[in-house]
Amino acid sequence: MKFKAFLTDNGVNLLEKRFLPALDKMGRICHLYLTRDHTIFLHNLLNGDGIQSIAQFRKEALFDDYRISSQNDDRIAFTIDLSLLHRALRSSVSIYTEVSGNFGGGTTVNRLQIKLVKKLPPNCTQPMPFLTFESKGYKSAVIQDVPISKPLSRADVLELQSALDMAQDMPRTLVQVPDMNQLQNFMDRMKHVGDLLNVSISKYGDLHVQISTTLITLGAEFRKLLVIGEQAEVPASDRNLSAQSRSERAMQRGDAQSVQVSMKHFAKSLQCHLAKPDCAFYGIAPQGACLTVIFQFYIPGSRQTDKSISLHCRLPVLDPGSN
Amino acid sequence: MSSSAVGAEAPDLVCQLDNVQGMVDALTAVRWKRHQDAVVELSEHGVVLIVEDTGCLQAKVYLQRELFVRYEYSAEGRPRFGLSLGLFVDSLNTFSVPGHSNTIEIRYPGPDMQLLLKSVDSPDACIYAEIRTRIPETISWDYNFEPAGSTPLSLTVKSAALKEAIDDLEWPGSSIQITVQPVPPSVTFRGEGHGDLQIDFMYYVNTDLLIAFHCDRQVSYRYKYKFLRATTSNIPSSVIKDNRGSKLTIGRGGMLKVQHLVSVARPSIPHAHIDSAGYQQPSRIAYIEFFVKPEEDEDTINDS
Repeated sequence: MKFKAFLTDNGVNLLEKRFLPALDKMGRICHLYLTRDHTIFLHNLLNGDGIQSIAQFRKEALFDDYRISSQNDDRIAFTIDLSLLHRALRSSVSIYTEVSGNFGGGTTVNRLQIKLVKKLPPNCTQPMPFLTFESKGYKSAVIQDVPISKPLSRADVLELQSALDMAQDMPRTLVQVPDMNQLQNFMDRMKHVGDLLNVSISKYGDLHVQISTTLITLGAEFRKLLVIGEQAEVPASDRNLSAQSRSERAMQRGDAQSVQVSMKHFAKSLQCHLAKPDCAFYGIAPQGACLTVIFQFYIPGSRQTDKSISLHCRLPVLDPGSN
Repeated sequence: MSSSAVGAEAPDLVCQLDNVQGMVDALTAVRWKRHQDAVVELSEHGVVLIVEDTGCLQAKVYLQRELFVRYEYSAEGRPRFGLSLGLFVDSLNTFSVPGHSNTIEIRYPGPDMQLLLKSVDSPDACIYAEIRTRIPETISWDYNFEPAGSTPLSLTVKSAALKEAIDDLEWPGSSIQITVQPVPPSVTFRGEGHGDLQIDFMYYVNTDLLIAFHCDRQVSYRYKYKFLRATTSNIPSSVIKDNRGSKLTIGRGGMLKVQHLVSVARPSIPHAHIDSAGYQQPSRIAYIEFFVKPEEDEDTINDS
């Protein structure tokens, strides 16, 4: 089992400034799954109840000179502490930029290598696995070891892969949230009022979120959003109704779906904004299996989706709702 | 399009407010603990919200009709209802997302006697809330604040200084003695307990802190620290920023009245075009009053 690669500047930037801070908020511990073509950070795919998040990078998005081999079809997976990974990366970067700054950069000498190693830590009899960052300077090299779990067994990797395959089902209707900051601001305030959030999404391009307890009903409806997938015209008779009755009627007609999720999960999914996505889509998976949030990233300076990076979250549904 | 009215009668109140944050500030000022029940009273003059604690502390927020951009009152008498202050403030706060104009409509009662809130300024994004109301409990001491003697005994202190003084008095203990005396004109806050701390505001020394002072005889009363603290613990930052003063009045029997002024003006937009008339928004202020009963122990030094 071998893994060795050099992080590109772009890769360092993506991980250090954007994805690791965002993913750390999803949960400190995650699976890091490396295949021949992809590097994938996975949260809660094997244990059911938390928010699932999947951040997938084509190897070119992060690395060059990427070498991986294992007896399990060149796949390696392990769990890692994201805050340690972030710390190691941050400090490697500071050394690496210092060194490359002194020597004019651009040289291939000062690159940040990342590899999988087994080492005997002090006071231990058993060698332990580490993900090692090595930044080579002119005269010195700095090595940072991030402890990781034992690599997953063949069976566990298979299970992880099949969970990943299962997590790819797309909602039939997705609506685009135009202003992610506004939604986040709104949720930050709304979460004081209750723990359960009803989310309903219609083919007309409506996103309706609502907290309902015995003492209060508090909600927000965003209309005329961009719809991807199945869409429909708003019936004229619905235009002047209240948000609640409009949602109800759309649901009766089969034009909307509604699920209940945990407010905590929803607020957490908004932390993905730290990864600086260019847009976000919300949808409900078939049969109301989960609430899916898909983040898209544009190729810098364009409005074209960067297919080499993908990030999406799946929020477990607490009550199947009325479909 | 069958949007026929639910009830035949018009609701008691439909009003619109263009500065939700100001209302949040004003209501937060009387939110001294997590769970508080409030009573709201509606009238043709405006909305009054009342909270109290163990019969010793009462606070009122006056939102006069002038604060609202629209105020349609059609009830007879003065409808009253109870609700949870925390929920009310938290849900109002949801309407005040920065960077957007936040005009809301408040309506009472809804079909199930709820208080209804709704954002009205954006056609494609709507926020709404329905807050369950209760039949109000009778207020245990509906308060008649009477001045003691012929001249009211009152002083006005910079709100920031008052808050700072009361915060500092946390250290000595549970009971604070307030003494107001004409010679030299001054007010003294004294706490004794784990140690003593005395804070004096001298009228002639600190005219910028102690702005006004009316006192013709010495009085001295003790108040529970936690009640005094409630009067300033949540003063909105806008009050401090606007450099406002708070008025303290001691009435018959040592009842202490503390009044704050909170701005509910629409936030001015910098670089906005100044219209030809040089129109300035008339000041829109919410009044907040706290009433604190003195401690009743033998060694209280009364009017002398």
